[in-house]
Amino acid sequence: MNLQVIVIEGLSAMTTAASLFIIAAGLSLIFGALRVINVAHGTLYMYGAYFMATLFAASGSGWLFWVGLLVAPLFVAAIGAIAEVTLLRRVYERDHLVQLLVTYSLFLILSDLALRFWGTASLSANQPPSLSGAAMVGGVMFPAYDLFVIGCAVAMGLALWALLGRTMLGWKIRAAVEDPETLAASGTNVKRLFTLVFAIGSGLAGFGGAVIAPLQSVDPGMGQSVIVSAFIVAVIGGLGSIAGAAIGATLIGIVEAVGIFYLPSWAPAFIFVAMIVVLAVRPVGLMGQKLGY
Amino acid sequence: MAAQPALPPVADQISRKRDQGLHPAVLAAGLAVIVLMLAAGPDYLGQSALLELELILGLAVFAAATNLLLGYGGLVSFGQATFYGIGAYAIALNWMHWKLPFWLAFSAAPFAAALAAFFVGLIALRARKLYFALLTLAFSQLFYVVAEQQYHFTGGANGIFGKMIPPALAVPQNGYWFILGVAVVALLALWKITVSPFGLLLRATRERPERAESLGLNVFGHQLMAFVLSGFFCGLAGALYAVYNQNAYPELLDWVKSGDPVMMSVIGGMYSFLGPVVGAFIYEIARQFLVGTTRDWQLILGVVLLVIILFMPDGLIGQFKHGLPWRKGGRK
Amino acid sequence: MDHSRKMIAGLGSLALAAAGTVAFATSALASGSVTVGITTALSGPIAELGQTGLQAIELAAADANAKGGVLGKQVKVVSADSNLSPATGATNVRNFILDNHAVAIFGPVSSAVAVAEEGVAAKYKTPIFFSTSNDVKLATTNYTKYMFQVVPDTHMEPAAVARYLADAVGKKHITIATITPDYSFGRDTVASFLKSLKADGVNYTVKAQETPKLGASQYTSYIAALIAAHPDYTFMGQFGGDLVTLTKQAEGFGFFKHTKPMAMYGRAQLKALKGKVPAGAIAWDRAPFWAMKGPGMEKFSEAYNAKYHEWPSAWAVMGYTAFETWAQGVEKAHSFNGDKVSAALSGATIKTIRGPITLRACDHQGDVGEYVGTIAAKVNPKYGFQTYAHSKLIPAKDIILSCKITTAEQPKS
Repeated sequence: MNLQVIVIEGLSAMTTAASLFIIAAGLSLIFGALRVINVAHGTLYMYGAYFMATLFAASGSGWLFWVGLLVAPLFVAAIGAIAEVTLLRRVYERDHLVQLLVTYSLFLILSDLALRFWGTASLSANQPPSLSGAAMVGGVMFPAYDLFVIGCAVAMGLALWALLGRTMLGWKIRAAVEDPETLAASGTNVKRLFTLVFAIGSGLAGFGGAVIAPLQSVDPGMGQSVIVSAFIVAVIGGLGSIAGAAIGATLIGIVEAVGIFYLPSWAPAFIFVAMIVVLAVRPVGLMGQKLGY
Repeated sequence: MAAQPALPPVADQISRKRDQGLHPAVLAAGLAVIVLMLAAGPDYLGQSALLELELILGLAVFAAATNLLLGYGGLVSFGQATFYGIGAYAIALNWMHWKLPFWLAFSAAPFAAALAAFFVGLIALRARKLYFALLTLAFSQLFYVVAEQQYHFTGGANGIFGKMIPPALAVPQNGYWFILGVAVVALLALWKITVSPFGLLLRATRERPERAESLGLNVFGHQLMAFVLSGFFCGLAGALYAVYNQNAYPELLDWVKSGDPVMMSVIGGMYSFLGPVVGAFIYEIARQFLVGTTRDWQLILGVVLLVIILFMPDGLIGQFKHGLPWRKGGRK
Repeated sequence: MDHSRKMIAGLGSLALAAAGTVAFATSALASGSVTVGITTALSGPIAELGQTGLQAIELAAADANAKGGVLGKQVKVVSADSNLSPATGATNVRNFILDNHAVAIFGPVSSAVAVAEEGVAAKYKTPIFFSTSNDVKLATTNYTKYMFQVVPDTHMEPAAVARYLADAVGKKHITIATITPDYSFGRDTVASFLKSLKADGVNYTVKAQETPKLGASQYTSYIAALIAAHPDYTFMGQFGGDLVTLTKQAEGFGFFKHTKPMAMYGRAQLKALKGKVPAGAIAWDRAPFWAMKGPGMEKFSEAYNAKYHEWPSAWAVMGYTAFETWAQGVEKAHSFNGDKVSAALSGATIKTIRGPITLRACDHQGDVGEYVGTIAAKVNPKYGFQTYAHSKLIPAKDIILSCKITTAEQPKS
């Protein structure tokens, strides 16, 4: 294996990891605060991608891409907020299984509505001219847009870290997990806080979809195909841990790249094996904490 | 696993918590009438209804077996299709590769599934709650991917189709009666397990795992036993599927299929033995009807599921019990 | 439990009970009309293929009804989503036949679902027509006499591409890489392609073979491996949305500057990629309406565009011809009976919008050719996407497997 192959394989693994982290981060954030696994998360991601592709169907100019990147998360966050207020709020007291099935129902409903609204055709969003084409990295040609995706994932991770660790809101989110009574007594509207967290998590899914849209065909199967990988990444890292999601995404990115390189016919099985091995050794994931759930 | 007499108080507590909607004798008589009516099905039902029933009877066993974990053990598994699929593949693979007699394959299918369940359970049961659920899901996907990839052996994505059942069973009525008979016996056996001392102790592990542990009950052992038993009956259900449809293909193993019996249990009510059975009938009939009549079947299915989950916490059976006029003010 | 909650709960159970009752009821056969059924992918990643096929069959039925119907009867089309599940597809076919009294079935997109549907149709002696799924096994190991295939199969299609390439490169030595979905379609396609190249005497070396999973969303690692192999030609077996994704990601690497891609760029991909399909790429399509000169093709594509506000995909063109095939089989047999229609179509020649199709008696495979061409540099102003600059119809006789080969694989009855 020469140096060029290593650089290009490394960057490929990082692109895979970045796109996985972009999806899994919101899933993990929501779980951390609300203890809910959102099966519809992949579908919200798809809504972000559809939003971007629709915007591009209206006009092909580059600046609309940046508008889409800002507006798509807000659009999807609004859908998330509506779902939280009308449905999820009613089941926080109930079993995990019930919450899971509520989000599964939401997945069915949102998938159907997307089919009604956007049809069955595969759509596509262009890359903005400033980010299209190949760039030179470490002596190899690599797609500029893939580097942008890696950058987005890093920015997203840092923003979440700052949000959770450096702001009042982050403090409240952590308090909501550890000690909801005190938080409520201190005058925080916990209900509204939960809505906000769910909206932020959904918005991250929408942002992820908008970022990935120019790299992919945007079609009705998009949400379904990513949700299982997103679960795996979030679980390997430890549900609720953003750093864990980053580690899980990197691990899966590497496992996939290595599997494809050496044992292609078994590669699809590798990520499940990775998850099984990690959980067999550490039953709460790499960075997960043992809590009463 | 033998009863552990050290624990009667916990088991007793649990058994008293059980609420019966109907007098047991009335219930038993009612069920006997339903089974007789089903047995007479070929006399008054059309061919498509009979075939639909063949599918549903197998799914009822699948759901009841899954609910042994869900409702009784408090273990949410999203991987039971692994064992359902193994049951179906046991018959199909035997037909394709080994050509042993069908009856041998049919008898071996549940044991093959139980063996797989033993190994999966050994690993998955180390994790708790959601992690357990997602770990079983990972196993489901692993088996699915392997069945799809190792196409020289499994027929790949197209699966295995063929005349894998004896001619006697291929006669429509015979096949129906066979499936009905096996399903009824399997459900009776599962019911016996739930009311046995083992079943009561299993419930103790669900309701108060720490207390059960402190009283000397081997929680892990009981859960593993439940997982193996559930796998056994899921495998049997899968073998019934192979009898019904004479094929096996990877989708029988994946997490979407694993979700079906969970959904059925929740719809019917996972805290009563018959809940998943009722759920299997309603879910499959409703789904088939919606798929056949509307493009928006996912939307309607989603809304109906939400209504049941949000407004009927104990499923349809639970709703029935609450709603009975002479039981007003029953369990809240 | 308060009153309103109880009421909603009651309504829920009522709705489910009602659904149950109706599902078991059977609909009566309306006099003066017959029913045909189609169950295909109408949701999920390949719904576009199923949806356009269904639209064409509905259009074909409407056209036939306007001309007085088939054998004097109006044709009603019933459809259901197969949800990409063989079990759902099989159950839908059974319900169409037993409950709706469907006299013919039109097949799905995925071969796995097609195999399941084929078995059910044969059990009830009902003809089934495949116009999208094209696994060669449908006419060989899984053959039944009720099955008819009006689409080039997984041997014919890559053989046509190999023939086109052979004509283009002559005696020159070339290097090839392949990337195909890890799925029976992909494996069969790439195996037939390489075998046909050899048979056509092409002097080639295979530099790399990649097999990402079906529906993959990240091809970066695979593209990196392909770039390292420096192939002259890259055969890409991805279809539908997968091909769009692969093309966009490979474009980002500048990959197409160094290799000539070959792929099934049809109407949907050409439209989705909005002018970004590499110009000069070798492309194939089973029925590109813009390149076809059949007697009714122009009228059909205009009518389809008028009704659905989009140009017909290959799946639509072939869905329409599948309906024409069935309708003429019925007219020839003077009956809707499955055995009679099957006998009448076996070996018959049918007039269709794409020209005459002969259904071989030995395996009921239609002698449909494959269109191979090169992608134009500019978007066609009328259609709004790039079409083929030069295209060639590789006739069925050059690429079809011999009856001797296919019948040897068929089940002995």
